[in-house]
Amino acid sequence: MLTLSLTSLAQTGLSAADIIKKADDKFNGEESGIAVMAMTVVRPTWERTIEFKSWNKGTENSLTLITAPAREKGQTFLKRDNEMWTWNPSISRLIKLPPSMMSQGWMGSDYTNDDILHESSLVRDYTHEIVGEEVIEGRNCYKIKMTAKEDAAVIWGYQVRWIDKKDFLFLKAELYDEDGYLIRTETGSDIRQMDGRLIPTRIELIPADEEGQKTIVQIKEIKFNAPMEDSFFSQQNMKRIR
Amino acid sequence: MQNYKLAWRNLWRNRRRTMITSASVFFAIFFALLMRSLQTGSYAYMYRNVIESYSGYVQLQGENWWDEKTIDNSFPYTSEVRDWLLGDENVDDVIPRLESFALAAGGQNTKGVMVLGIDPEKESLLSNIKSRVVQYKLTPEAIASLVNEPSIPDKTKKLLPVYENACFSGDERLLSDLGLDKNKAEEYIPILKKYAGFRGDPIAPGKPGVWLGEKLASYLELYPGDTLVLLSQGYHGSTAAGKYEIKGLIKLPTSEISGSVVYLPFDIAQQLYNSGQNLTSVVLHLKDNEDKSLKSTIERLSETAPPGTRLIDWYEMNDVIIQQMEADNVSGMFMIGILYLVIAFGIFGTVLMMTAERRREFGVLVAIGMQKKKLAAVMSYEMLYIGLLGILIGALICIPIILFGVHHPIVFKGELAHMMEEYDFEPKLVFASINLYFLWQILVVLFMVFLSLIHPLRKIMKLQVVHALRA
Repeated sequence: MLTLSLTSLAQTGLSAADIIKKADDKFNGEESGIAVMAMTVVRPTWERTIEFKSWNKGTENSLTLITAPAREKGQTFLKRDNEMWTWNPSISRLIKLPPSMMSQGWMGSDYTNDDILHESSLVRDYTHEIVGEEVIEGRNCYKIKMTAKEDAAVIWGYQVRWIDKKDFLFLKAELYDEDGYLIRTETGSDIRQMDGRLIPTRIELIPADEEGQKTIVQIKEIKFNAPMEDSFFSQQNMKRIR
Repeated sequence: MQNYKLAWRNLWRNRRRTMITSASVFFAIFFALLMRSLQTGSYAYMYRNVIESYSGYVQLQGENWWDEKTIDNSFPYTSEVRDWLLGDENVDDVIPRLESFALAAGGQNTKGVMVLGIDPEKESLLSNIKSRVVQYKLTPEAIASLVNEPSIPDKTKKLLPVYENACFSGDERLLSDLGLDKNKAEEYIPILKKYAGFRGDPIAPGKPGVWLGEKLASYLELYPGDTLVLLSQGYHGSTAAGKYEIKGLIKLPTSEISGSVVYLPFDIAQQLYNSGQNLTSVVLHLKDNEDKSLKSTIERLSETAPPGTRLIDWYEMNDVIIQQMEADNVSGMFMIGILYLVIAFGIFGTVLMMTAERRREFGVLVAIGMQKKKLAAVMSYEMLYIGLLGILIGALICIPIILFGVHHPIVFKGELAHMMEEYDFEPKLVFASINLYFLWQILVVLFMVFLSLIHPLRKIMKLQVVHALRA
């Protein structure tokens, strides 16, 4: 028995934390990434699509430029460490998002500003545990339960993520609050080769308690590990970038 | 001789006694009428203020807007909708509105505000918002200059520091608050304009520009001519961001609203919120807004209302205020109850005195053979006459006072007015014109007269001639 389980561990050679790190790096790029995306906000009576381009370096720096629709074009969002600024060309104002706006939806979507700010501390802020294996969309997946660390600044109590065994793709995630209630479900689908990597290019976010609401993000183009200076993520660049 | 004739003669046998008793009734009716007139008048005024200044009697709104006031619950206000509303027999005009919220920023400060997209011309059907644009501001510098102005009376100079940084939207209020003679307005106004004049321009549909609540402007440290930045979420999650020139400041009765309101032409607001033709509400200005026709108008329009809209009446829109006012009215009733108590004892006291005074007279009358019943009847007539006399005189004196008061409400001036405004009271006492309450007060006082009659009647019926004769 002991030998058997040892061999199975040796076969994969990966801990739950390793799997998460691998999947996270694969999706976000080890160093940096540039992506062109479209986000569709779906509501019971209407839907709306926003297109944007996003640069990120590590988890600390990111810059997002809205490219469509015309009305919103030119708005930029800068994230550095734990602070977020927005530049709006129609009022020529640089605004630092106050804490009170953190729980509001980003551009009217189901993603909150807080989601974007505190993105991808998936590796550091959680303790990971493989709780099973399941098949999602015909792919064998690890089912990993990630419990937030006591001291981590995370709003979730725990998450359950399904990660493809072969290609380390996030295929599904369920996010629970501290009381164990399901708050939202995220799914990754439309798996494609992008910049030499196989990744899900369509991510759906479904809030648990809002009927008929969801947000779909589609990755149109992505480039991994392009060289980028830290100075790229500056307030000056927010106003300049096109 | 008939009882009523006897009673009449009795009255004038002792003129002074009659006068004293009817005077107590007179004061009773006089104060009851004035107090009730002021109470009902002030409530009616408050109602009117609330309803007519903002909500109107009936509105067409997006179906869910009242429950969840977001721009997403607005409805398309097309020319067909307008024609449909104007086609109703009771609808005189329509007042378009787009209401939402935004973050307003000046130089350094930012505040969450209510954004009201209005048509200032149409809005004046409800309350004349244009007349609330600040025309004067008594800045410390203005006060310093005015104090040095020789033609300003000393009395006013002493008052000026009280009004530091106060805003005024009209000449009349400014003159009266500063204790200046209205008849010399031509002399004072140019001086006041010179030092304390304040820029206040109109806003109009099609022209970008905003009016700010006066308190909000002082918080944001903005003045007319400066730029106000508004940032919010627009229709269907779009970004609403715009910068506008401040055209003027608005003086509003309550400081809460004054500190958090921005007025914008409604079409500019539509552009800001990216809401296309959508509005959040349309106030219907009715020809006849009595409850009955209001109800039938709502019923008639509801049948043909475009999908996604609803009609809502002022009761529903102002339920909190109506409840507050009703509670307030109860305390008013309590006050008048106390007044009644005082009045009743006043009347009773005089009647008591009168009865004691006439005890011997009653004794003699009964001794020489007058029936107690007849005596009681005569007494009742006497009280009725006294009561009616007091009421008649009281009412006759009250009528001109009230009628004058209806057209000339009591407006407090100076420091007191300033203090009342700080507490969000309008420094104004309004009389209600003569209606049903008048009759009620008369009936109540008459009832009290009859209540005090019980005592002399009991005395008469229990009268023991031997004792009475010795009184």
